[in-house]
Amino acid sequence: MSEPAPLDPAPLDPAQPDPAQPDPAQPDPAQPDPAPRDPAQTDPAQPDPAHPTNGLDDTVHQRHRLGILTITAEARADFGYLRDALGLTPGNLSRHLTVLEDAGLVQVEKGYQGRRPRTWVRITGQGRAALAAELATLTELVRRHGGSPARQAGPA
Amino acid sequence: MAEQEAHTAPEQPEELLGELADLRRRTRTTRHGYWFPLILFGLLTCGAAPLYVAAAAVPTRSGAYTVDAGPLLLSGMPAGTSSFYVGWYWALALVGGYLLTLLWYRWHARRSGVWTPARGYLITGVALTVLALVIPPLTGLLHFLQGLWLPLGDVWLRGTLAFLIIAAGLWALARAERSRALAVIALVYTGAALLSSLYNIENVFFRLGWNPRTPFGWQLTALPNVLLPAAVLLAAGLGAFLVQRRGGRGTA
Repeated sequence: MSEPAPLDPAPLDPAQPDPAQPDPAQPDPAQPDPAPRDPAQTDPAQPDPAHPTNGLDDTVHQRHRLGILTITAEARADFGYLRDALGLTPGNLSRHLTVLEDAGLVQVEKGYQGRRPRTWVRITGQGRAALAAELATLTELVRRHGGSPARQAGPA
Repeated sequence: MAEQEAHTAPEQPEELLGELADLRRRTRTTRHGYWFPLILFGLLTCGAAPLYVAAAAVPTRSGAYTVDAGPLLLSGMPAGTSSFYVGWYWALALVGGYLLTLLWYRWHARRSGVWTPARGYLITGVALTVLALVIPPLTGLLHFLQGLWLPLGDVWLRGTLAFLIIAAGLWALARAERSRALAVIALVYTGAALLSSLYNIENVFFRLGWNPRTPFGWQLTALPNVLLPAAVLLAAGLGAFLVQRRGGRGTA
């Protein structure tokens, strides 16, 4: 297993586009596009506060960050494992982890295995709750649109 | 990178849920390492078998059935003269086995990159072993403690309480590993351990015509009660090893 790259210590500049965030001009392919499917969303006079998309959290609702939360909800995971499992570059993974850590959803622990640095990532209680809420929202979306959430990614 | 992400990104919530479920399954498969404690305790149980045979030795003087000094709950009270070694063997084997398992999980975590919290498993096993060691001597001082173990004589008289302590550890491990397969193994093993504790399994063999005529005589009749739980652990451990090795290759 190769060495994990150090996490980027610099906080993300809110004025700058977050490379780990989906580009607002380019909708995240993982993001469901409810607008065309839900007439209530197209009419500002008739908002639907109960629509499941209102429960989506921008921090969590990103494919790779959801992947990080799903893996760490299962077990404390090493940086290298996350990088390989999600197919990310070390820099990209670091940025996603910074976003999640700043939001209090994961804890990043740095240590050594012998003389090799090792970075472990564990989910927090807040992270578990956010993941559960996100999965419930996605499941509800699937249900509304007639799909079958047969393969759920719940923490059980 | 963006191109790669766009290529692999699911487009529907259903696909995203499916992808997350797959991630969770792969992570769970990677972190499973329970074949090791199954094989370890299976071998430790086989290692105890000669001691059970020795403990079933015919007393030298008629009627000289004695209870040796030693951990009574782990030694049991077999019909022979010496159960001393069985008790101390299990005291050391249980604590050593649980500690080795913890080390195994730490090594497995460093190697695989995912960490199974095995501390609850260790605490369950070691705490039950220590309780089994200290409760009988403490009963002399605290008489109410006899209510904890004397009424349960049936499960420790044959010197098989160690099997139930191993079973309790397996249940804790099944929870830590979130493994239904290990829960099923723990269920089967608990059944075998209870059978060994409550029944002389050699009766079945005797009815089938097995009446050992060896220099050891009837001492060998103690073996089925020891080897049945050992066989369950070894068979389950071997199966889990093969499955986990195949799963590890599949997810590599």
